[in-house]
Amino acid sequence: MRLLNSRKAREAGFAYIVLLPAIAYFLVYFFYPIGVELWASFFRGQPLIGQSEFAGFENYRQALMDPRVRAAFGRTIVFATLGTFCTLVPALFLAAILSGPIKAATTIRAIIFFPYIISFVIVALMWKSLLDPYTGMLNVLLSFLDLPTQNWLSTPSTALPTIIAITVWKDIGYAMLIYIAAIQGIPKELYEAAEVDGASPAQRFRRITIPLLMPTTLFLAVISMIAHLQDLSAPYLLTGGGPAEATRLYALHVYEVAFLELNIGYASALSFLMFIAILAITFVQFRFLNREVVY
Amino acid sequence: MKLADRLSRCIAVALCLYGVGGAARAETLKVYWNAGHAYQAYADVIKKFESDHPGWTVEWGRFQWPDMRTKLVADLSVGNAPDLVAEPGGWVPEFALQGMITPLNDFVAKDGKDLGYPQDWQDFSVDRNTIDGKYYGIQLHLTCATLVYNVDMLKEAGFHKPPTNWQEFRKVAIATSKRGKFGFAPNQVATYYTPWIYQNGGALYDSAANKVAFDSPQSAQAIQFVADLIHKDKAAPLPVAGADYEGPQKLFTAGRAAMILTGPWDVSPIKTGNPKLNWDVAPSLTEKQQATMSGGVSLFIPKTAKHPAEAWDLLKRFVTLETELAASLPNGMTMPRKSWAADPKVKADPVLGKFSQCLPYAVDSSAKLSLTGKNAAVQDLFKAAIQDILYNDKPAQEVLSDYAGRANAALGHK
Repeated sequence: MRLLNSRKAREAGFAYIVLLPAIAYFLVYFFYPIGVELWASFFRGQPLIGQSEFAGFENYRQALMDPRVRAAFGRTIVFATLGTFCTLVPALFLAAILSGPIKAATTIRAIIFFPYIISFVIVALMWKSLLDPYTGMLNVLLSFLDLPTQNWLSTPSTALPTIIAITVWKDIGYAMLIYIAAIQGIPKELYEAAEVDGASPAQRFRRITIPLLMPTTLFLAVISMIAHLQDLSAPYLLTGGGPAEATRLYALHVYEVAFLELNIGYASALSFLMFIAILAITFVQFRFLNREVVY
Repeated sequence: MKLADRLSRCIAVALCLYGVGGAARAETLKVYWNAGHAYQAYADVIKKFESDHPGWTVEWGRFQWPDMRTKLVADLSVGNAPDLVAEPGGWVPEFALQGMITPLNDFVAKDGKDLGYPQDWQDFSVDRNTIDGKYYGIQLHLTCATLVYNVDMLKEAGFHKPPTNWQEFRKVAIATSKRGKFGFAPNQVATYYTPWIYQNGGALYDSAANKVAFDSPQSAQAIQFVADLIHKDKAAPLPVAGADYEGPQKLFTAGRAAMILTGPWDVSPIKTGNPKLNWDVAPSLTEKQQATMSGGVSLFIPKTAKHPAEAWDLLKRFVTLETELAASLPNGMTMPRKSWAADPKVKADPVLGKFSQCLPYAVDSSAKLSLTGKNAAVQDLFKAAIQDILYNDKPAQEVLSDYAGRANAALGHK
């Protein structure tokens, strides 16, 4: 018995030693910054670089009362929800189609996946050039077809949808690839049995594919939502938060408060509030999407 | 020779070599600079500094302004400050008030006479970098924005000289607008709207009352004038939303805008972008008064810089009259020295000479506001207000009053 215990202890010790780099990584790059951010959020001014004074929960109170913060948060929820939905639904359909016996499926998959590997800086430059209202190729094409030209990124009502469309265009390939891998993991016998029972392709997709892909959908929905809630590059590079704040997302607001207004204490409080919001949203997603289906 | 003797000689030689190497050990001077201002004249200065200081290397980091700001704040927060920073205006008082900049008074007391500082610098360029008698920055470039126009487009519309007031400007803008071409291309950056406010007798900030003044009737009338050019007269396009300020310059360079409001920073892109373009620089418009905005770059040494003495040495070299002339003449940049403005080569330059003429009536909109420590917050609200008027076509007075309320609350907030 004692021999067994000492063997178990040795194994546990070895496991901790092996895990040590990962634990150190999380402590240094995850928990320490969160701790510093939480500490800084209780100070008014520049707690990390300059003068500051203890403010207690004042930054949090101010953040909750600030109409610009509320507007940016609302906009971000719309951006993240629509961005996630518009990425996952077409990605699922594309994956279902491209998993079948389609000619040149590999080439089509590669073309759809390609934008995902390009840096967003390049993506932004490319789309800004294409969408330029005066010199952009898209408006030249519309003029050629005698259609009214559009000011895509400089009209408050179209700016956010345009940014969502660009983000979806970039991300859809990744979601599609994950879905393809998951679809290929579904046992063929299930489809064959359903076919024998007279199920149509649409019924097979609805009754077998979608339910069995729920864990994949949950994974994609959670990571996509988290990424979109923190997205800074899209509004920063494409519109600078304009026109008329139509694309001023929460992360851009936090960035400007921290780096342009040098109000690092307040920006830390804003970041911490978003951290809590992300935890809450992720919890809700797990609550409603985490359904394992077993046949 | 015995083995022990040989060994001791080898050790002695090695120690001597180590001593020589140690005396000339490698050091790096970190400089943050704007990517658009990396002129050959400054590269030559750096080369000379390195040859005068053997073993030293200047790490010349070049960034766009917003990226530099992010990097600087992040570096300061982790104790990795650069030695010398070029800033676009407004950062010096802002960072100095936070105790993050080295006062230059000791350096100026030692070298000011030889350098000509502050006597040879335009007075307001010294004032904007001075707080309570302490010099926190030295002006490198001093600029102002004025009217730049396409001579051929105006001639084609029947105008043989540029407009001088708002009424003439509107007439020219409407007459030169036609399918695919615009009379005036406004900028999406809010600062470009301050000249209209100053020309109409308005102001951005009232330091005596510590309140913003961009909601005054004069200011509202000025912004409404520009908004009407876009929405009513159809003589100007909606500016393209984005993080840069180059949109109007690009339209102008492509021959698609007859007039823009810009400064010397756009001279080089226009010249290289379209060498055949027939363009000229005009004095700023006069409504109630002749006015425009001023800008320019200043140099400062962060308090936590590792090599402040060497940074000062390099700073001195960047601002000599010789370097100012070498940097300004090929690039069309205007400079802060009085002796530079008086130089015959500058006066004879058709573009530089005209730009330098707007310096006396140029206004630094952020000078007093920066001393409140709320400049960025107020400017951000001003930007939001301008965009709300332009993009949503809302009445200027109503929007400006709303945003002024928020800006004044920010100014009142500790």
